[in-house]
Amino acid sequence: MKGNALLRHRGIVLVALAIIMVVLMLAVSLVGIVDFSFAQALDNLWQGISGGSTNVIFWNLRLPRIVLCVLIGAVLSVSGATYQAVFRNPLTDPYVLGISSGASLGAAVAILLGFESSFFGVGMLALGTALLTVLLIYKIASIGNRMHTATLLLTGVCFTFLATAIVSFLMVINQDKMDRIIFWTMGSFSAVSWTDVLMLLPVAVLGIAVVLYYAKDLNLLLVGSETAKSLGVDVEKVKKILLLVTTLMVAFAVSACGVVGFVGLVVPHCIRLLAGSDNRLIIPYSIFVGGIFLLLCDTLARTVLMPSEIPVGSVTALVGAPMFIYLLYKSKKRY
Amino acid sequence: MLEIKNLSYRFGEKQVLSDISLDIADGSFYAVMGANGCGKTTLLRCMDNLLEIPSGTVLLNGKDIKNYSNRQRATQIAYVAQRPLYDVDFSAFEIVLMGRNPYQRHLQNESQHDWDIVEQCMKMTNTWHLRLSTLQHMSGGEMQRVMIARALAQQTPVLLLDEPLANLDIAHQFEILGILSKINREQGKTIVLILHDLNMALQYCPKLILIENQSIAYCGDTAEGLTEENISRVFGVQPKIKEIDGKKQVVFS
Repeated sequence: MKGNALLRHRGIVLVALAIIMVVLMLAVSLVGIVDFSFAQALDNLWQGISGGSTNVIFWNLRLPRIVLCVLIGAVLSVSGATYQAVFRNPLTDPYVLGISSGASLGAAVAILLGFESSFFGVGMLALGTALLTVLLIYKIASIGNRMHTATLLLTGVCFTFLATAIVSFLMVINQDKMDRIIFWTMGSFSAVSWTDVLMLLPVAVLGIAVVLYYAKDLNLLLVGSETAKSLGVDVEKVKKILLLVTTLMVAFAVSACGVVGFVGLVVPHCIRLLAGSDNRLIIPYSIFVGGIFLLLCDTLARTVLMPSEIPVGSVTALVGAPMFIYLLYKSKKRY
Repeated sequence: MLEIKNLSYRFGEKQVLSDISLDIADGSFYAVMGANGCGKTTLLRCMDNLLEIPSGTVLLNGKDIKNYSNRQRATQIAYVAQRPLYDVDFSAFEIVLMGRNPYQRHLQNESQHDWDIVEQCMKMTNTWHLRLSTLQHMSGGEMQRVMIARALAQQTPVLLLDEPLANLDIAHQFEILGILSKINREQGKTIVLILHDLNMALQYCPKLILIENQSIAYCGDTAEGLTEENISRVFGVQPKIKEIDGKKQVVFS
């Protein structure tokens, strides 16, 4: 059987994707405002790991940026795939649903309240507003036990506008902190450090592990809540757990790098085109493909107009927005 | 054995079922009939605990159905909904394979045993040739047969079907009921299905539950229950019962 053969080859594909990702991480670490040779890069890596003296640009700026990029790409893609199954809607991702923007609002408020030095404080407030957004969207868009597509997307768009408007307002009345807040609304990896990586890593690992654990239930949720329940899924519990962990991951990702759109939409759909609808494939592949995708986008963002940088969110939108329009056009037949 | 005791259900202000009590014996084959909106679907959903049961109890093998985990219950009762969600990209094979979910743990993939059962169930429902197609590309009859195959793959003693004949042409109606009655005879499965065709019920379903005004109007042998009087009371139409070739038929003139 087609599906089963794909499932059997999952391990090989995952190893291949992991190798591609690591090679790419190494490759893009060589280019930038300062170029490094392959030997220099390896030497710096070795020195950094063994605690020796390292090049500041390579070890303290470029490497954490690359690692964080891969982590956030994975987190956003896995969350996107999860939202698509839980909301039974192929057009959703953390950005489209307004969850990322909701988180950015919390982060902006945290900065104004003076929590900016603590990543955790920013993360917690971002989580609070992100969860509130999910909860409201869920309540507004569910009619009976079904999710209403148009309402879901419109609610997401409204929340994005609302959160963005409030953030803009906060910026105008606090001009001294404006540049820090701008960073959250447009998405950027330009100021990340190892601290950000260490903060996000446990949340990402835990969250992705939970989603992987429920990957099969995601398939059943796609054929409808009632059917899933009749086939043995604890529907309400699984939905709550998954929405909670994905929102947690998104909030922490947004706290680290701001709002990066469309990653969670593009990546799962590209995988779906090649590997089918089985979430036991989509979720694990999303980890690596998402990482690779965002890594490439950020490399473009920081190298195309050197020495200035393009917000990474605009690079992902350049790829993601046409994809979104295409999917919307394609799904017109169905709704 | 499925026992329903004093089941009542309301949607907001509207009473849907009031004080229903039923005994569904093992291996029986019931048709549930009644006018549109009389609570047939609600009754079926309550029997599988898909709706929160507000008052009354449903006992499955003597144990309150609320005390079963979803997974345990899914190995006892299979449910086929009236309108399957067809806007998914899973192949028919993958859909039927989902029927094996209650027997698998998290992170556990399907085994050869599961695939064999799926193949067997798909052949039984004449859907094996459709295994690679998605639901969107199927006709109503094909989709319905795939859903029945999935319910069979659950290998449960009880099968609940909500209008499995909806949107089917007459040949496919015979085919589906033929399959179900064969399963009932050969495997001894208990089957409860919602039906609208009175003559189909007479021909295929030995037992009948008639629902009127949110309660049971009749429960027993189909041949005895489908009288001119009962039909006109429940549906508000004036039929005649005739014997054609020794079989009862409901006709309207």
